[in-house]
Amino acid sequence: MYVNFRYQAESPKSDVARRLSVLLDMATLLRGLRAAGALRGLGGVLAAPTATNPQFCRLRRGFYCAALRLQDESKSDKASSSSSSSSSTSYHEHYQAHSAQQDTAGQHHSDPAAEGTSSSADGQSEYQDEEYESEEQLQARILTAALEFVPLHGWSMEAIAAGAESLGLSSASTGMFINGSGELVLHFIADCNTKLTEILAEQHNQVQLGQAEKKKTSEFLRDAVETRLRMYIPYIETWPQAMSILLLPHNIPDSLKHLSNLVDDIWYYAGDRSTDMNWYTKRAVLTGIYNTTELVMVQDSSPDFQDTWAFLDNRIQDVVNMATTAKQVQSTGEAVVQGLMGAAVTLKNLAGLNQRR
Amino acid sequence: MAANIHCSIINRKRNFLSHCVINMAASVRTFVRSLSRKNACFTAVLRRSECRGFTGAAEDRSTHFGFETVSEAEKASKVYKVFENVAQKYDVMNDAMSLGIHRLWKDALLHVMHPQPGARLLDVAGGTGDIAFRFLDYIRSQQEKQQRRAMSLGQTPSWRDISDGYPAGGGAPESAVVVCDINKEMLKVGRQRADSRGVTTGLSWVVGDAEELPFNDDQFDLYSIAFGIRNVTRIDQALKEALRVLKPGGRFLCLEFSKVTNPVLERLYDAYSFQVIPVLGEVIAGDWKSYQYLVESIRKFPDQEEFKGLMEDAGFFCVQYFNLTGGVVALHSGFKL
Repeated sequence: MYVNFRYQAESPKSDVARRLSVLLDMATLLRGLRAAGALRGLGGVLAAPTATNPQFCRLRRGFYCAALRLQDESKSDKASSSSSSSSSTSYHEHYQAHSAQQDTAGQHHSDPAAEGTSSSADGQSEYQDEEYESEEQLQARILTAALEFVPLHGWSMEAIAAGAESLGLSSASTGMFINGSGELVLHFIADCNTKLTEILAEQHNQVQLGQAEKKKTSEFLRDAVETRLRMYIPYIETWPQAMSILLLPHNIPDSLKHLSNLVDDIWYYAGDRSTDMNWYTKRAVLTGIYNTTELVMVQDSSPDFQDTWAFLDNRIQDVVNMATTAKQVQSTGEAVVQGLMGAAVTLKNLAGLNQRR
Repeated sequence: MAANIHCSIINRKRNFLSHCVINMAASVRTFVRSLSRKNACFTAVLRRSECRGFTGAAEDRSTHFGFETVSEAEKASKVYKVFENVAQKYDVMNDAMSLGIHRLWKDALLHVMHPQPGARLLDVAGGTGDIAFRFLDYIRSQQEKQQRRAMSLGQTPSWRDISDGYPAGGGAPESAVVVCDINKEMLKVGRQRADSRGVTTGLSWVVGDAEELPFNDDQFDLYSIAFGIRNVTRIDQALKEALRVLKPGGRFLCLEFSKVTNPVLERLYDAYSFQVIPVLGEVIAGDWKSYQYLVESIRKFPDQEEFKGLMEDAGFFCVQYFNLTGGVVALHSGFKL
């Protein structure tokens, strides 16, 4: 949870990321940490010395690896089916990789641009509870509390101040957030992405256990995008403000990263394992669908956003049609070419050019 | 002996130090707090001399006063005399010495502070009230901005809304600033400035020692000390007091002269400090030695990283600093979490 060294996937090529065993190790232990929650207190103790020192991160990693191998095994025992144990562990690892990325992403955004955040603890017995929780965790808590006040104050420092006060902290603690509104929006988005990944993983487990039917790709995409967009409904009044905040230049890298993680996750759970140009085209298409549907949703006033879901249906149908059309065009093209070749050979025969003397 | 027993009876949650002096101070401090603030101005000065008189420990420890070495007991009274002398011409000299740039530094402090409406600020060593006035202006302009935003949303306030806006007893906490200074002359000048500006509410003036603040625990959202902490005899004690009076989540801000990072600029700055400033002091305020003390005390103050370490030792979190004007001034910020 205190992963403060930056895993920047520069482009959404998480197949490369997956292949990095280092990332997998980190991801497995992080996933185990989050899921179990049992090591939280332990993690807090170890985090007490320094929070951001990478050497300590490596130490912690080494420490946790052993403990979490056990947890990981128990989890994969639970979830793996007989036939595809390897693929399920790779699902786990991928899921963990992404939740790790989202965790770090979420925490990076709540990380202030402070040189040397400290957590020294000489004799501060009164603040021991806050120490064991690191500063990033406290900031995440403040941002989560601030989400309640967003409908009232918008995505702004006032919402964060109200959130801090609801936790019993002074409003001056908003000074920890240099890019206040940006951090709040990005924290919310990271949260939503994590929730979506959990839902998709749960559905995947259900399918693996045979308790649910496997959906068609287009249906799966539709449901995933709808689930994700429904998370915005409580904040839909202020969502245009949030979207404009995400477009500010200093927020663009982070918001693009979240978007690419989201789209990659959805395609992964839809069953995409392509390793060629299709990987890019599929994600680009889904990004387009997602963004346009979001825009439609923001100005939709129909009951329960029915117009938005109808729009989504149509877009996905377009994509499916386009895919079939593309295949047809290709096969037609091949047939035409063959026909032409045949005609050319016939002409040559007629003209007597094919004779061998 | 009796004093020690007396102290052990008094329940001090945050009494980390075990020195005899501080134990004595604790017992006297609780006595002081039971009095009203007005009376504190008399007991404050008496208190310090009593403390030092009771034990000989403070006189044995030595500290720096500019480039001289003096005992801790003497330093406080010498600093008091310095500021007593310069109080009348303090603001004029600030403008002359820093060529007006000190205003930008103080504005930067307020921008970093970014106080929310309803915040309470304790400005320590804030004698003539520069930070306090800026704070009140900032809060007022924020409130005006909020009102304008509410108006622009097309909601004309009903009579009920307007009447709710009138200051009511027991409403939302209003922002307030308490200016605390050890030196009565400086506070006098500050009060005169407040009167001439017409500021009447939200401001109060208290005499107090930064090492022993006459306030209860967990009182303030913000604590600022601008160009004052290098004059404090025991900086770690002042930091611990700051931690004590801040609410959880409260912020400590310190504006102080510090080490210049650029070597070329450093040479120029040294030359300016030692050649020009005392001369200005003599010409404008008629006091060479006070301004000699000023520039020497700047050199004696710990640099940015050291002060950050001191803050972390005192128990502040998320400590960071910003260098202003190339390191001539550093703004340190820390949170009580």
